Amino acid sequence: MSDAPETDDALPGEPRKPLRPLAAILRARERGENPDLIEKENLRARHERMRDASQHRAESRLLVLGLFFVLAFATVGIRMGMLATSPPAEPRLAGAATISSGRADITDRHGRVLATNLETRALYAHPHEMVDISQASKKLAGIFPDLDAEVLEKRLTSGRKFVWLRKTLSPEQVQAVHEIGEPGLLFASREMRVYPNGPLAAHILGGASFGDEGVRAAEVIGVAGVERAFDAQLRAPTPRPQPLELSIDMTVQSTMREVLAGGMKMFGAKGASAVIMDVHTGEVIAMSSLPDFDPNDRPPLPTKGDPADSPLFNRAVQGVYELGSVFKIFTIAQALEEGLINPSTMINTTQPLHWGKFRIRDFKDYGPQLSATDVIVKSSNTGTARVAQQIGAARQKAFLQSLGFLEPTQVELFEAPSGRPLVPKQWREIQTMTISYGHGLSSSPLHLAAGYASLLNGGTRVTPTLLRQYGRQLGDRVVSERTSAAARDMLRKVVSEGTASFAEVPGYAVGGKTGTADKPRRGGGYYKNKVLATFASAFPAHDPKYTVIVTLDEGRTQILGKERRTAGWIAVPVAAELIRRTAPLLGVRPESVPAPTAGVRQAQNSNG
Amino acid sequence: MSYLEHQIKSVPTGARKLLYLNWSLVLLLIAIACIGFAMLYSVAGGAFSPWVEPQAKRFVLGLTLMFFVALVPIWFWRNMAGLAYGGSVLLLVAVEFVGVTGMGAQRWIDLGFMRLQPSELMKIALVMMLAAYYDWLDLDKTSRPFWVLVPLVLIMIPVLLVLKQPDLGTAILLVAGGGILMFLAGVHWLYFAAVIAMGGGLIYAVLGSRGTEWQLLKDYQYRRIDTFLDPASDPLGAGYHITQSKIALGSGGWAGRGFMEGTQSRLNFLPEKHTDFIFTTLAEEFGFVGAFSLLALYAGVLVLCLGSAMMARDRFSSLLILGIAATFFLFFAVNMSMVMGLAPVVGVPLPLVSYGGSAMLVLLVGFGLVQSAHVHRPR
Repeated sequence: MSDAPETDDALPGEPRKPLRPLAAILRARERGENPDLIEKENLRARHERMRDASQHRAESRLLVLGLFFVLAFATVGIRMGMLATSPPAEPRLAGAATISSGRADITDRHGRVLATNLETRALYAHPHEMVDISQASKKLAGIFPDLDAEVLEKRLTSGRKFVWLRKTLSPEQVQAVHEIGEPGLLFASREMRVYPNGPLAAHILGGASFGDEGVRAAEVIGVAGVERAFDAQLRAPTPRPQPLELSIDMTVQSTMREVLAGGMKMFGAKGASAVIMDVHTGEVIAMSSLPDFDPNDRPPLPTKGDPADSPLFNRAVQGVYELGSVFKIFTIAQALEEGLINPSTMINTTQPLHWGKFRIRDFKDYGPQLSATDVIVKSSNTGTARVAQQIGAARQKAFLQSLGFLEPTQVELFEAPSGRPLVPKQWREIQTMTISYGHGLSSSPLHLAAGYASLLNGGTRVTPTLLRQYGRQLGDRVVSERTSAAARDMLRKVVSEGTASFAEVPGYAVGGKTGTADKPRRGGGYYKNKVLATFASAFPAHDPKYTVIVTLDEGRTQILGKERRTAGWIAVPVAAELIRRTAPLLGVRPESVPAPTAGVRQAQNSNG
Repeated sequence: MSYLEHQIKSVPTGARKLLYLNWSLVLLLIAIACIGFAMLYSVAGGAFSPWVEPQAKRFVLGLTLMFFVALVPIWFWRNMAGLAYGGSVLLLVAVEFVGVTGMGAQRWIDLGFMRLQPSELMKIALVMMLAAYYDWLDLDKTSRPFWVLVPLVLIMIPVLLVLKQPDLGTAILLVAGGGILMFLAGVHWLYFAAVIAMGGGLIYAVLGSRGTEWQLLKDYQYRRIDTFLDPASDPLGAGYHITQSKIALGSGGWAGRGFMEGTQSRLNFLPEKHTDFIFTTLAEEFGFVGAFSLLALYAGVLVLCLGSAMMARDRFSSLLILGIAATFFLFFAVNMSMVMGLAPVVGVPLPLVSYGGSAMLVLLVGFGLVQSAHVHRPR
């Protein structure tokens, strides 16, 4: 029985049973039975036992496996339920933002969005993964009319493994490309800069474009305006970017753009700019330059012509002009401050004033002398120039320096340094005299706004800023409170009795000074019939809160059969309209109840 | 206990075999495949190309193969086990030289009409080989060290070849499938205890070797382990798969967004959305109800296989059926766990649903073997 199996494992506790016990065989032979049958029977019994045992083990193992399956199913099922009941999260774009995500928003002073981001898609192709290139090219050309099917097919079959197709896609276009069903057409996530208000504050915001571009994301970089000036801060990778809060008031800005555009159209001006500034904080509440552009679709830099005629040019900051008579108040104020005159001092205004070969004359002859106040009210060049002669070049230069007229403004725009004032190389007596009435020194409207603010706010220097300020600026004193008050009175009189009578706004006392400057001719001299009309003002006149500067370039109008180009006719009405509409928005309370409107008055008249 | 000891006469012959097929199993498989077609249709944005059409063709081909395999007597397949195993090993070696690289791994042999992944073939061949081995081996030798070492070698040869490709998912499936088969064959539990202890040691060694000269895994594999342990650590990098599929599952809610309404999968949020991560589309569009239904269908397949295995009288048949069922189970269990963040991302398709030819064909052939064992069982 050498082949007797060892069944100890399988049949524990049972003694080994030989297959062919001799006694059983002998007994079988006696009965005449075949002993082989017995052997077979034994073999069967043993096999049965073995099978039972192995089956027993197999079944227990199977049970374990079954339990394992149940456990696994339960785990997966429970997890599924947990995930299904979890709050749905917003899906995020594939690989979005490894380069930069969430460029900070830009808002106005009340938190209204001026610039934000939009998630969009760029389209690229993996030609080696494409199924039907020619069909896909045709369909793409159908979706994007500017793509040519044949050119596209050539690009895709050129053997390159990666082809950029489009930079930014609208959701409809994304869907249309999806519907082509081409696996080799792939989308990359793009974050795009969006200016919801279009051209509203175009020159302030500037614009943005893509920097480093990757398949997964592209960098958004500021190219101009505050977007460029604050690029690093806006881009700073913070988990929750804080919006950049500008000093701009969107409503005022919107009104300004509308009024300015209307005035520009009405007077046929080729350009215009305006600034409203808080006289105490230096905050630019609104600033416009026309013509402007849509920062969402920034035009390319002009390659020919005068860059100052491009819509990209910010006239209020970059444009430096001889601003004319608006400067006279600085001269008179300095003379008051120095104690050289007082408001009623009579000043020689005999015409013309000779200085060497130069002759200075007034718009018309006002008689041999005028009081200091009347020099401003009538805008006498000769009177101002004679006062400036007393002040002298050095003191005048220092005074204008203290008002910020000799350096570019520090405003937070990328373009600000290019608004560098043009200062005469030689500052002698004749320059002092011309500068005293605003010729010979070019500066930007924003310089003028800051200068007026500093002079009229009580006499402390403010520097213009585009960032929201909390509290007034404590700048250096430029003139005394008394001088500031005297200057305010004079400017008020310009409106109430002088050249700026159109600036009377019902309910608001406006004080300001007109300035009509002949435009300098390229290569020397001045145009006879091209002028820059400026009105620099502040309101309320006796305790100013805001300065308003309006400048129109080459505007003219026909009134009473005469062609008018002077600021009193061109810039003042625009500024008046601007003040009339923005003063309530700025929360300035009217000083008196506004007179009833014309329509109501007419009705009363007809009754009486 | 060999098959031949039973009465073969009770086995149906000829066309009658068709009557004795496990038709419930066939219907379940078709139902699962149809879910797959629907999902691929949705992922393609409501189109039969590029995925549904080839997938459907391959499914029909696979079903035909399944019937063919089912009608051939199971004992023939037992005799073929060695050949299938040897052939698969040779193909795995061949793929090293003539393989096509895809997704950073060498896995395919291009046959012209389809790309064959020998590693998929190996999953069935290994089950057949081990079942045949334990059928051949005397019951009482099962737990002897030498006879335990033999199947271990049989498992490790393809595992090492697959790891070299590198395809961690398939390697894990092969090890787990082989292990389950050895467990079912009755290998003493102490061996398993020892292996689990060694496995713990290995994990320790693998993690310990990181950054040293003898680093055992590739960097990306370590990163996957990291992100599995803490998906939030890198939600936009390697943890992206997990985070996104979790979002998809979460946004599906109970009843889902509706067919073709899934945003997550259709808008390219997920890479490999038509292959390994197709479950997220299902979960998003049909919610918990849809996902659980698929799970129930898979469970139905397993239950039928277990029943079939209980009815089988011979060791080869029952081990083969259980082995194939276990492989099937591992496929979807690993895939779903991976998608739901219960396991690291290892690249295992959702069986019969994910787009991909080899896995589907091989699984259907495997179910053909199950059917063959079912039809040809003695009664």
